[in-house]
Amino acid sequence: MILAGLSLAQIAAVFGVAAAFATALYILKLRRRTVAVPFAKLWERILRDKEATSLFSRLKRLLSLLVQLALIALLAFALGDPRAAATLIKGRNLVVLVDASASMQATDVPPAKNRLEAAKEEVKKVIRGLGGSDRMLIAQMDAAVTPLGPASSDTSELERALDLIKPTDARADFPRALRFAIDSLRGLENPEIVVVSDGRLGEAVDASGKVHLGDDIKLTYLPIGRGVRNVGITAFSVRRYPLDKSRYEVMLEVTNTGPETEDIELSLFADPKPGDPNDNGQLVDLTKLRLKPGERLPRFYPNLSGASRALKALISPLPNSVDELPADNAAYALLPERRRAKVLVVTTGNTYLEAALLLDEYLDVQLVSPKEYAEKIAPGGARYDVVIFDAATPADPPRAHAIYLDPRGPGSPVKVEGEMQNPGFDRIERKHPIVRWTALDDVNIAHARKLVPQPGDKVVGASFEGPLLVTGQRGGYKFVAMGFDPRESDLPLRVAWPLLLLNVINFFTDEDAQYISSFRTGDVWRIPVVTHTGQARLKVPSGEELLVPVHEGRAVYLGEHAGFYELVGAEGVDPSETAALGGGADGRDLPEPSAKENAGAGGPPPTVTAFAANLLDAEESAIEPAKELVVDGKKAGTLVGFQIGVRREIWIYLLIAAIVLTAIEWVTYHRRITV
Amino acid sequence: MGFLDAVFGRKGPALTKASDDDLFDDDFQRKLDYLALVSKRVFAGRMRAERRTKKSGSGVEFADHRDYQPGDDFRYLDWNVFQRLDRLLVRLYEEEEDLAIYFIVDTSSSMGFGDGKKLRYAKRVVAALAYVGLANLDRVSIVSTTDRVLDRMPSTRGKARIFKVLRFLRELQPEGQTDLGDALKTFVAQHKRRGLVVLASDLYDPNGFERGINVLRYNKFDPFVVHVIDREEARPKLSGDVLLYDCETGDEREVTVTAKVLERFAEAYAKYLEDVERFCTSKQVPYIQADVSVPFDELILRVFRRGGFLR
Repeated sequence: MILAGLSLAQIAAVFGVAAAFATALYILKLRRRTVAVPFAKLWERILRDKEATSLFSRLKRLLSLLVQLALIALLAFALGDPRAAATLIKGRNLVVLVDASASMQATDVPPAKNRLEAAKEEVKKVIRGLGGSDRMLIAQMDAAVTPLGPASSDTSELERALDLIKPTDARADFPRALRFAIDSLRGLENPEIVVVSDGRLGEAVDASGKVHLGDDIKLTYLPIGRGVRNVGITAFSVRRYPLDKSRYEVMLEVTNTGPETEDIELSLFADPKPGDPNDNGQLVDLTKLRLKPGERLPRFYPNLSGASRALKALISPLPNSVDELPADNAAYALLPERRRAKVLVVTTGNTYLEAALLLDEYLDVQLVSPKEYAEKIAPGGARYDVVIFDAATPADPPRAHAIYLDPRGPGSPVKVEGEMQNPGFDRIERKHPIVRWTALDDVNIAHARKLVPQPGDKVVGASFEGPLLVTGQRGGYKFVAMGFDPRESDLPLRVAWPLLLLNVINFFTDEDAQYISSFRTGDVWRIPVVTHTGQARLKVPSGEELLVPVHEGRAVYLGEHAGFYELVGAEGVDPSETAALGGGADGRDLPEPSAKENAGAGGPPPTVTAFAANLLDAEESAIEPAKELVVDGKKAGTLVGFQIGVRREIWIYLLIAAIVLTAIEWVTYHRRITV
Repeated sequence: MGFLDAVFGRKGPALTKASDDDLFDDDFQRKLDYLALVSKRVFAGRMRAERRTKKSGSGVEFADHRDYQPGDDFRYLDWNVFQRLDRLLVRLYEEEEDLAIYFIVDTSSSMGFGDGKKLRYAKRVVAALAYVGLANLDRVSIVSTTDRVLDRMPSTRGKARIFKVLRFLRELQPEGQTDLGDALKTFVAQHKRRGLVVLASDLYDPNGFERGINVLRYNKFDPFVVHVIDREEARPKLSGDVLLYDCETGDEREVTVTAKVLERFAEAYAKYLEDVERFCTSKQVPYIQADVSVPFDELILRVFRRGGFLR
């Protein structure tokens, strides 16, 4: 036994003084309250009885004094902070990594709400079993690793930190969490890492290689979870048809990760209300599916309509089936935005061109002659999304994206050299978006002119003799130049002709470039956004608004929750307001950039970029808990040395004993036993 | 509470000089009339209000015969008897005489304990009974005592004297110790004429309540005990460690008051009342408990029914 607080001599001194004081108080006669009575003789009989027991009275007072002295002795001893010699030097340093990944939302551990809640309960038990010299740091492990407080031995502080853990829809980054724990424990005595998880953590390997624990760090695994039955959505994608943007097709994959055959109902909803996770929108499709154990079932829904903006897929188990992980039962996707593009066609008349443009109902086409363009439109500076010059090249390039068919003259964005006879598309940059879904290989061309691209331009199609189809940028506007008149070829007779035109217009209007079907949770998202403040306002699925930093024109955010997001440049927000970055509800207090302010500033209203995020991770959907955890070739041990309710500080027990004695004294006094 | 009381921690005034201005108000006097009326109606035919002594004299109602003695008035010789029995006998008649009723009011400090409820109650009871006595043409006298005779109202008779009685009672104040033995010895020495003695007291006599009553009995007075009690005294609002002192004698006692002690005190109080009643019963002394919580007119009717006061 070692006294970590006062020395034995000091304890004796404290006890002596306090005991003397208490005894003096007992010796001093208490001044009684004086009360008049009408006839004191009546009290005499009672007092005679009392006097008969005066010896017992004295004994009772002595007992009361002894109780007080015992109380003082306990408190004095507690001041000495006595500890067992063994525990004084063996304080442990623990880092508890609590898995908050999506699989921890499995509801297979009743009565706990889910695995994460069960994990918290287990960690609470560990906290309550901490020794007096032990120190613990709690960290949330998900796509990132977040320490929730400093290393501490204060149980209430640790429990508060534990309560901060929230579930995420992301996969856990186990190697990063381990490296954090190892770094935190470096140089400390008796280091121990406690992993509280269902064990679906994968190999402890990252870009830097394998994680090495070292010899001195003890790894402990506290497994959570029992269930294995789950069906989840593991893929979800949607796209519009290029020629009929009111219709779309959906690709979806459902996976049964459990060992039983499961029957589920798959629902597809259109346009759920953004910011309201409980709103599903309008039902557009409902299917019942049966999945065998381990089966991955892809589903393809062609030719759907009814949604204008967003889609949500939901699965729910039918009776007699079990789905223990709700986190992967919903998937979200956004349809590319449909925007009417203003197209100016400068032509002397081209039926093929006009007919092709008629195919897309979202094009607002205006036809003008080259003369009219030169006289009225070019000087006026009217705004168009796209200008098509059909065999008529303007003297000055327009302030818009432009398509040049058979360009020539000084106004051409690319230099035009000699003629080519019967060229073909011998080389095609097939990944380029303007030639998507087209087959140009066997297009027959009577005459063409060789285009000479400038540095930075991209040759998308070319014959052996020279480039035929070039794209690039001039004065901040994109252009596509085609070195031949389509009427001099059989291209207008092919499906590729309208597709090529529409691809180019989409390429110009950035329709596809801005289209983000869905992000994956757990990744760092980089979303394009227009802002001058270096910050963007992000509305998360729960409805909260956050300020996120913008780097090189893209908002950067580590997304961990599935659902619909909305991003807008944080105009009107003081750039110095960085405190709220990634800060949750703080963002709600920020001033809203109103339309009036924007009008006053002369700028266009801020563009809202909507996008969706999904878990879509078959590994995370497989919820069977791992029985053991192996890191760096070492198997994690089981948790030992945390006895609930047994603290190693003896002073606590001394204090409890003192309180009990006080309670006894109080009761006996008020019941007049020790009086 | 005086300054010294506050300094020495004495709790509240033991004695209260209660205001007696409204003691005998109009309502009280109406009740007296009612009681006087009721006393005649209830006991009519059985007991006449006027009392008679056994003393033979010049009354009109025949009582007895006795042998003639020389010097007797010839007018009282019964000639019919002489003719039949040939003996000279003198006829005796009951002489009508007004009875003396003495009211002894204990005005010791214990009677004024608390807010003086007991003394006020005793005054009202005495006033009521005195009124009934005056209405019945008895000689009524009132004496206040502690350990001695403090004050006395001379004998008087007739209903009209009730205001004198009320005035006398109104001026009585609680003070001093109780010693009924000594006080009543003085009383009997001062009052040679025997009669009914109504003793209104709480009987808190340190020397024993029996002494005072016995003094009356041994001197051929007819004692009638009105024991004034306040039931709240059986349940004192005390707790914890206290120093009790007697409001009359100043004797001090240290007591730790617990629920059990209070229970035992209540038992002792009840036993004391029982002792008093048993003593009076055994000595054939009319006894009545006058609980201050009982309306005084109700008590007076109980006195009438109990007997001993009206004969």
